[in-house]
Order: sequence, then C-alpha cells, then structure tokens
Amino acid sequence: MNFTQLFTYSSYVFGLFLSLTIMVLFLTWFERKALARFQMRMGPMRVGFHGTLQPIADAIKLISKEDILPAWADKLVYWFAPIIVFVPAFLVWVTIPFGKNMVLRSLDLGLFFIVAVSVLSILGLIMAGWGSANKYAVLGGLRAAGQLISYEIPLIMAILAIAILNQSLNLVEIVDSQVNIPNLFIQPLGLVLFFIAGLAELGRTPFDIHHAESEVVGGPFVEYSGAHWSVFYLSEYINTFTIGILTVLLFLGGWHWPNIPFSGNLQITLSVLVVLFKTMVVIGVIFWIRATYPRLRIDQLMSFGWKMLIPMAFINVTITASVLYYNLSLWILSIISIILLILCIFIIQRKFLINNEINTIKLISTKSLLDEKNEFELN
Amino acid sequence: MIGFLNGLLVTIKAGFRRPVTAQYPDPEKRLKIESRFMGFPSLTWDYQIEEPYCTGCMVCVRECPTECMSAKMKDNPLFSEGKSRRKKIIDEFEINLGRCILCGICVEVCNFDAIEMSHEHELSKRARNGNRFDLQQLLDLGIKFQSDTKWEPKQPEKNSGVPVKKINQNEDK
Amino acid sequence: MKINKTINSSDSVDLMINMGPQHPSTHGVFRLLLNIDGERIIEVEPHIGYLHRGSEKLCEYERYAQVVTLFDRLDYVANLNMELGFCLAVEKLMELEIPDRASYVRVILSELNRIASHLLFYGTYGLDVGAMTPVLYAFKEREKIQNFFESVTGARMMHNYFRIGGIKEELPDNFNNRLQLLLEEVSKGIEECDQLLSKNEIFLARTKNVGVISASDAVDFGVSGPNLRASGVARDIRVSKPYSIYDRFDYAIPIATSGDCWDRYYVRLEEVRQSVIIIKQAMDQMEEGPILAKVRRIARPPKGEVYFRTESPRGDFGVYLVSDGSDKPYRVKVRAPSFANLQSLQYLLKGAYIADAVTILGSIDIIMGEVDR
Repeated sequence: MNFTQLFTYSSYVFGLFLSLTIMVLFLTWFERKALARFQMRMGPMRVGFHGTLQPIADAIKLISKEDILPAWADKLVYWFAPIIVFVPAFLVWVTIPFGKNMVLRSLDLGLFFIVAVSVLSILGLIMAGWGSANKYAVLGGLRAAGQLISYEIPLIMAILAIAILNQSLNLVEIVDSQVNIPNLFIQPLGLVLFFIAGLAELGRTPFDIHHAESEVVGGPFVEYSGAHWSVFYLSEYINTFTIGILTVLLFLGGWHWPNIPFSGNLQITLSVLVVLFKTMVVIGVIFWIRATYPRLRIDQLMSFGWKMLIPMAFINVTITASVLYYNLSLWILSIISIILLILCIFIIQRKFLINNEINTIKLISTKSLLDEKNEFELN
Repeated sequence: MIGFLNGLLVTIKAGFRRPVTAQYPDPEKRLKIESRFMGFPSLTWDYQIEEPYCTGCMVCVRECPTECMSAKMKDNPLFSEGKSRRKKIIDEFEINLGRCILCGICVEVCNFDAIEMSHEHELSKRARNGNRFDLQQLLDLGIKFQSDTKWEPKQPEKNSGVPVKKINQNEDK
Repeated sequence: MKINKTINSSDSVDLMINMGPQHPSTHGVFRLLLNIDGERIIEVEPHIGYLHRGSEKLCEYERYAQVVTLFDRLDYVANLNMELGFCLAVEKLMELEIPDRASYVRVILSELNRIASHLLFYGTYGLDVGAMTPVLYAFKEREKIQNFFESVTGARMMHNYFRIGGIKEELPDNFNNRLQLLLEEVSKGIEECDQLLSKNEIFLARTKNVGVISASDAVDFGVSGPNLRASGVARDIRVSKPYSIYDRFDYAIPIATSGDCWDRYYVRLEEVRQSVIIIKQAMDQMEEGPILAKVRRIARPPKGEVYFRTESPRGDFGVYLVSDGSDKPYRVKVRAPSFANLQSLQYLLKGAYIADAVTILGSIDIIMGEVDR
C-alpha cells in the first residue's frame, strides 16, 4: 500500500487508541461513582465537578510513583509481562464495530480472531507472577491462570453457539442478522453463560479471588507499582469494555434494536450512541454485581466452572446445532434454553439445601427457660 | 436463586436513595454536634467581673485519670480591691490535650463551674509540644464555647463573683 | 484432644505463612502463624499481646470513678457493657441498692450498645468474605446509634457514663422520641442487612459447614456468648443468673443447631432483634425517679472480694475485684470472653482451607482490646 493509505490507516488506529483510552478513564470514574451510589455514599466529589477529573489525578499519581524492581526478579520477564497483558486487550478492537459502518477492519474471521488474541494475555499473568521473585506472587499467578483457562471454555462455547446460530463469524453480519429479534430471546442460556464466563475472565467479583486483599497476599501483581501497575489496571478496564460491547453485539442486538429510522451520517452517529448506551447498561450490571456479592473460594470457583458451566455450554452448542440442522423453529431453541436455565437454578438451590435447611435457628423464650431452670444448663 | 436476586434488589433500591455522606471539608455540610458533646476541656470566663471562674482549687487536677493538668493559684488582686468575691484566682494552668482522654471527670468534680468540655475536637499543631495549652489558650477556647452555646453556669448564685454587701456595717470586704 | 503448643522449626518442612499483626482481616493486632500443606492448614500458632496496655495494673492506681474510664477502653466496641459489669461488681461488694430509673437507663443503653457491636460484626464479616457493601449499610445504622449516644452521654464511643450507684446525669428531654425513631430505623436497617447477605448462595457456600464446633467441645473450651448458643447450648447469663433488672423482661434467646459459621452469624442478627424488644419493654416500664444512689463521690467499698459475671455481646464477661477498704481497688482481674473464645481457633482451623481461616476468625468475633487488655 502507498503512503497515503498507510497514513489514513494509522490515523484511524490512533483515533481508536485515543477513544479507547478516554473510554477507560471514563470507566474508572463511572465505577467509583456507581459503587459509591450502591453503598449510599458519594464517590469522588472534589477533583473537578463531581470528581470527573479524578482519573487524571490518578494517572498523574501513578506515573509519578517510583517503579520498584525487586533485586532477584527476572528483569526481562518482569518488564514484558505488562506488555503481554496489555497488547492483546487493545488488539481485539481492530475488528469490533462501534456502530453501523464504524469498524476499523471487518474481518470474516472476526470472532475467531478475538478469541485467539485475547487468550494471549493469560501468558502475561503467569509471567508477572514468575518474574516477581515472590513465592506468593507465583502461587497467585498460577491460581489466576488456572481460573482464566478454565473459564475460557464456556466463553468460547457460548460464542460458538452464536456463530452457529447466525451462520457467520463476522461481527457485522452477526449484528445485522439480529434485525428482527435479538439473540437474547433465542438463547437466554447463552447470554447467561457468556456473561458469567466473561466476569470470570475479567477477574471481577464474585471471581476475584486472585487479587483479593483479605486473603493472605495480593496475587500476581503484588510487586508492581507506579506506571507498571497502571498498565495492568488499564488492561482490566479495556477487557471490561470488550466483554460489555461483545455482549451487546452478540446478544442484545447491537445497533439494531430499536431500529433507527434515519439514514446517512445521522444514522451512523445514532447507532454508535445506541451501542454505547447499551454497553454502559451492561457494564452497570457488572458493577452492580460487584457491589452486591461476596467472593467464591478458589475450589468452589473451579468446581462451579467445570461442573456447571462447561456441561451447560456443551449442551447449548449441541441443541443449537441440532435445531438448525433439523430446520426446526427457533422458538423451540428459546424454550429449551429457558428450561435449562431453570434447571441450573434448581440444581444450585438443591446443592445448599440437601440434608439441611437454611434456617437452623430457633428462638427459646426466656420465660420458659426460667421455669425449667434446672434442665437448661447443659444440652 | 432467590438469595441472589434479593441482594441485587437491596442494592438497587439503595442506589436511588440520597447518599448519607456529610462532606467534611465544607463547614456547612458537617454533622451537627450535640449540646452534650465532650470536646476538649476549657476554662470559662466570668463576664460580670472580667476574670476567670477558676480559683485554682486543684480538685480537677487531682481527679484527672491521666494526670494531664497542672495549676497554680495566686491571691486575687480584685478581691483586695473589693470588686470580686473570689479570694484566690488562677495564675497558671496547663492541660496537655494530647494526654486528655475526654472523660469529663474534671467537669463533674469542679465546684465553681470553672471548667467545661468545649465542642472543639480537631487538634493538630505543627510544633511538637503544641498540644500543651496554657491559661490564655484555654480561656480562648472557653470564650468561644460560651458564645457558641450561650452557656450559663449551673449554680449562678453560688459561683457568682459579684461581691455581696454585708449587713453588719463594721466590715466591708 | 491434644493441642500442640509450639511448632519446632527444625522438623517442619511445610510452608509457614505469617498472617502478621498488620492485616486487613485479623480484627485488630493479632498474629497468626499458619503451617500449611498445599491448601490445607496443619498447625496454627496464634500470637497475642500486641495491644497490651496494662489496664489491670493501672486500675490499682486509680480511684473507682476513674477505673470506669479504663473499663471503657477494654472492649472498645461495646463500652457500656464493660462499664456495667464493673459498676455492678462494685455495687455488689458495697451491697448498694441503686434506684430503678438508673437500672432501666443502664439496660437501655447497654442493649443499644449490643446492637451497635453486632452491627460492626456484620459489616466486618461481610468484608471478610469479600462483599464490600454490607460494611457501609451496617455503619450507617451504627452511626445513628452513636449519634444518639452523643446526645445522651456526651461521647460517641468512650462514654464514661455509668457511675458507682447509678448514672452520671439525667437523660435529655427528647430521649423517648429520639429513641423511638432510632429503633424504627435500626429495625428497618437490620432487615435490609439480613436481606442483602444471609440467604445469598455465595455466602452460604462460604459459611455453611465451615468451622463446625460441637456443643460439648464448645463447653470444654470455655466458649461463651453467641458462639456457644450457635452450637446448641442454651446458656445466657441474663437468664441463668439474672443481674440488674433483666428478669423483668420477656424476650427470647436464639439457639442454633449446627455450630458452623453461618449459625454464629445469624444468631447475632437475631440477637439484635431481641435487643430491640428488650429496649421497647424497658422504655414502657421506666418511671421518674432519682438517678444516683446516696453514695459518696469517692467510693470506699468494704474489705472483701467479689466476682461478677455479665453477658457482653462477645460472651461471658467477668470482673473479679479485691478491695482493701481504701478508695483504690487492690486488684482487678477481667475475664475477657474473646480470650476464651480465641482458644477454640486452634481446634477449628486444623484441616481447613487457608481461605477459610479468615472466615472462621471473623465468625468468632474477637476484639483484641479485651484479649490483651
């Protein structure tokens, strides 16, 4: 390609990078505000109007901190780990559409590319743990890698089911085939699987055991500080945004529901706004879940992933494929999905209620105790 | 699943309520201090005589659990001039507010309504010994407390410093 | 059962992890040495004493009215219960009859402090299992209670309000209205807190069948308070040896059957509801009257000794007092409930996961101020 093409493409890439950075800064502010409101407090208020300049203050603070390098750390591994976590997070955005005709490069193997590239960041996590020369960091890094690898499978299976349903791996075509009805109504089980597996991939509550502070140590990032750590922090928020927009594009109809009547540039702008609004709603749900739930222990996390999500994911793919193969109506698929979801809920309920009920408390009135004073001393 | 959804319901309902934060840096948005709040001890000023109520009897110094106070009394010049009923008056008084545990025992045992717990609770000084308040600083705290809360002594007749005219004429003290 | 006292470092080849004195989850300065094998804990060695301030020795140099300030700071979350224990011990030694109104005020304020202490337990336990909102909901209610205390006693935490013979000063004028409002808000708040966390499946997975202690083991270890009641033993000092005026109220005590972490947590939540019932009955029964018995300001109990037990939010709080007739105590010994409850930690943590160590420690609800004194 000649120079002008190179120039235009690189300016597009630069524009994408810039807008993603601004998005990430906005997300950090949004998370703090949303969490604060769920906890009946206010969040950042002093830096700028209602704290809108807080992310910039955070960025300045992180950049001005000293970058500590442990003495026994493997320098190459330690330095490259953040880069390996960070680059795939941005790289997937090459093929994700923001709105109608708003994609940098619409690849025919779009979903395949996304899945393949995003798995690379797990290697970066292991490198971060190993390069820190801290036995707790190594343990934390391996735990995190185990969690991420095991939850990749339901994620990929959910994406595979959508690809089978819409007969394409190109994201623009998947969204366009949801013109009449979003995939949410056809495969509710797929949405739940994708969302939960996505939460586990991000390392967010209830799956954030690998960087929880109330455990013994802080996980693979314990030795990083300053600008190095901010790279990990940013990549987590980029991944959050990626999962959010993928949920919208794959399941919630992208820019097609509600359908926008205008045409031309106005339609494109409105489509971008519709996609962004829906993504913010999904991300709001992610923050809502973070505010409400405690976290799972590592063995409970793994058993939930392997014993509940993976069989459901496989059943989901099989049923989608068979419905499409036998040319049955798609409503059968949604009914079977809902039945499977209810079955999951039922299994989870039974797991905790087998052999004992939740409420094991009984109230003994003091008057009755005072009357039979002799026999209540030791049961 | 009901447990999951119940929790989410609680948080979303709380999300629409007004936040309960009182933004401390703004003076008008702070929490209200109750009238009985026990802040740092401070000495009160008798406006009728223009002298402190404190006579230096040292009861509070003896009763303090942490022994953070010291005092010295002197003969009252206003008494010899006939302007006050207090024979002795406080000369030096020091409280180490870093040691004070704000228990209020000194106020309880004082017979002269001289020491009161003010509403001050913020104390940071740049000097190492800046928490040791002398008589004038304590009186300043007390004057601010008296004007903010419109303080009246608990036993005004007994502790008033206004000299009483004796009925028998041979002595006028 | 045999408990190993020290770990000989020369013959252990497993990993030793130190949950050091500064740790976000150890509820105060408490050091826990864990000897682990993979994910399971084999040996536990707790180290205490980081908060030792010499309270019992200091009591020998202070007059009785000043000792109350020291007792405030023992269990700094349930201050009024500590003051109550000491005042009742001295009054028993002096054989003093305190006026009824003072007793009612004491009971109302102590039960309010019990609610505040259990709310703090709820908030910090939520943090231990990883939920970040319960702590703010709990502290919102606790803030209301502390504001109420400020209007009555003058301080939010270290009240110094109970005296030998009664209470320090008369209640403010709007006491009844404010207390009524406070009880309604706290009841609603605790229902919300209950709805947020108790039946959550993730919370159940973290706390059910974790850290089980049977009834006979609990009694052997000297565990008391809500921990004992959660294991199935129906023992509450307010009922078995009623002190003050607790025999005039009609309430219930919650007993659980399995003795795991969830039961210990829920027993405390139920106790909050029962405390609200006690306070309402006390408010109805309270009448006008004097607030301080006819006793000298500097109390001089006769020579003798007394041991008095009360039910603090953590368990069986005992005060042993020896008096030699002067105005200062000869010896004060405090039987702290958290100290005895902490002994069961070694037994509970054997064979548990590391992630459960924090959960179990949180459910025992210790305050290092009274463990170390």
